[in-house]
Amino acid sequence: MIICLEFNDLTCCGGGLGVEVCLIRAKRVAHSQHINVEDTVLVQKWRQGDPSAIEQLVCKYQGRIYNLILKICSNPNDAAELTQDTFVKVIENIEKFESRSGFYTWAFRIAVNLTLNYRKRKATVGFTSLDAELAAGDEQTRQGLAAILSDDKSPDPAQIAENRELCELIQKGIRKLDDEHRAIIVLRDIEGMDYAQIAEVLGTELGTVKSRLSRARAALRQILEAL
Amino acid sequence: MNFEQNPKIEELLNSYIDDELSADERSEVQRLVRENHTIAQRLRQLERCKAMVSSLPPAEPPAAVVAGIKQLLRNHSAGTSESKHIESRRGARHLFVRQVMAASIIIGLVGIMGAVVYRIVGPEETALPIVAVQPAPTVKPTASPVAAKPEETKKTVAVAAVEDTTSIGLYSLQLQTADFTAVDAYVNKLLEESPWLRYEATKDQPGKSAYRILCSRGGLEAMMSDLATVWPKFDSTTLIVRTDNVGQDVTVASVKPEQVADIARQDTIANRVKLAKDFAMLNSVEQIMPDEKMLAATERSMPELTTIPKPVLTSGDKNVVTAPKGAWDQVQVDLNVVVTGHK
Repeated sequence: MIICLEFNDLTCCGGGLGVEVCLIRAKRVAHSQHINVEDTVLVQKWRQGDPSAIEQLVCKYQGRIYNLILKICSNPNDAAELTQDTFVKVIENIEKFESRSGFYTWAFRIAVNLTLNYRKRKATVGFTSLDAELAAGDEQTRQGLAAILSDDKSPDPAQIAENRELCELIQKGIRKLDDEHRAIIVLRDIEGMDYAQIAEVLGTELGTVKSRLSRARAALRQILEAL
Repeated sequence: MNFEQNPKIEELLNSYIDDELSADERSEVQRLVRENHTIAQRLRQLERCKAMVSSLPPAEPPAAVVAGIKQLLRNHSAGTSESKHIESRRGARHLFVRQVMAASIIIGLVGIMGAVVYRIVGPEETALPIVAVQPAPTVKPTASPVAAKPEETKKTVAVAAVEDTTSIGLYSLQLQTADFTAVDAYVNKLLEESPWLRYEATKDQPGKSAYRILCSRGGLEAMMSDLATVWPKFDSTTLIVRTDNVGQDVTVASVKPEQVADIARQDTIANRVKLAKDFAMLNSVEQIMPDEKMLAATERSMPELTTIPKPVLTSGDKNVVTAPKGAWDQVQVDLNVVVTGHK
């Protein structure tokens, strides 16, 4: 039996090699190109007319895409609408998806572009100032945030996650960043993407990602310290 | 250290905490952190800042979002299957139209090619029209100009044939004689007493008579046979055969009456022209060698004389073919006869 796995440029036939060797090689190549093998298989199935494949992809990424959009646009209603718009675009453009990148980064790129464009449109109409919101912060929470920033010990993530007001304050700090800085912070520190993936999602060079992330973190630290 | 003035160090520290450095770069950063307290403090600030953002709990997408996306998927699936069905029907219809168009184009091309091929290899003239009249039998008039008249029925049929058929060409027969008065009177009487001929006489100059004659080929043959009796009285006999090409008419000098009939007997212009050229050549040879008797094979009346074969092409051209008997008298000959006397 000959088993062929096709990942665009990669074709691996199990005629002479063992199937496991092929799978391992395919996974290595896919990993080096930030391609999720499972996603690629689902996209292929969808193109071949299997509607369950897109359902699996949507179920897999709807939460992450919603969170990404929410962190960038800061409005749950807008985030819900933009998430749906993102999947509409994904479904409409799946035929154009060339699998050179992973489905995950491709879908995230659509989501980020939609959100940033939406934010630009909304900014021209007029956007609510964050200063008023931040001014309403609890004094105790502010002291907690200052302690974390000045403490020599590393902060405990579980402790921060449990402190709802502290989380809210950090989120407000993120919201005060400009859109580009906010997007790159979310992609790196919340989504955990590496620099290459971020460059792919934002459509920029790797060097730009490094410098922009550096500036974004510096700005966020200043905002949080100012709170 | 002012990190705003040294953005590269800040970038290096960020790359360090994000694990985006090579082993050498990591060692270098670690050395810097050990040796520089400010850099070490900056690194810790960055790590804490990153940890805080990373610690933010993810938000669950509202149920409405999930429901909306599921609805979107259902609509898309239904739309896809429906659109595929519509596409397939549209595709089938489009394919059918294209097939019909392709077939029409092919038929048109075949028709055009057939017409072109027919023009190239087909006969030059279409078959003679079949006229629903009884063809007149060939009438052989006697040598005398006062020979017996054809029967009345024959006359009717001959006229009908002249009126209903097309002309096969315009000939001009120029005859010159020293005894103009007698010869012209003979010609005039001959035409008057040949009811199967239609003619028009013009005598606007003294010593010159022009006759335009319309007749069947059988009628022409009979007339030329009658003219043969006075042929020796002509000093010069010239036949001009018109062709389709202006300026390429064929002139047959010293033409004989039977040669005129033979040329008119041919079916196509090409054959008439070819035979006229042959006669022109033969007649010119006869003029050059007056002592030799040379007759064309078409001269059936004197078989005892030495004959030479009528020139024919051997390159595949069709041999000269006479008209089928049935259409013999349905073809009209247009002949101008000009009789002139010596000045």
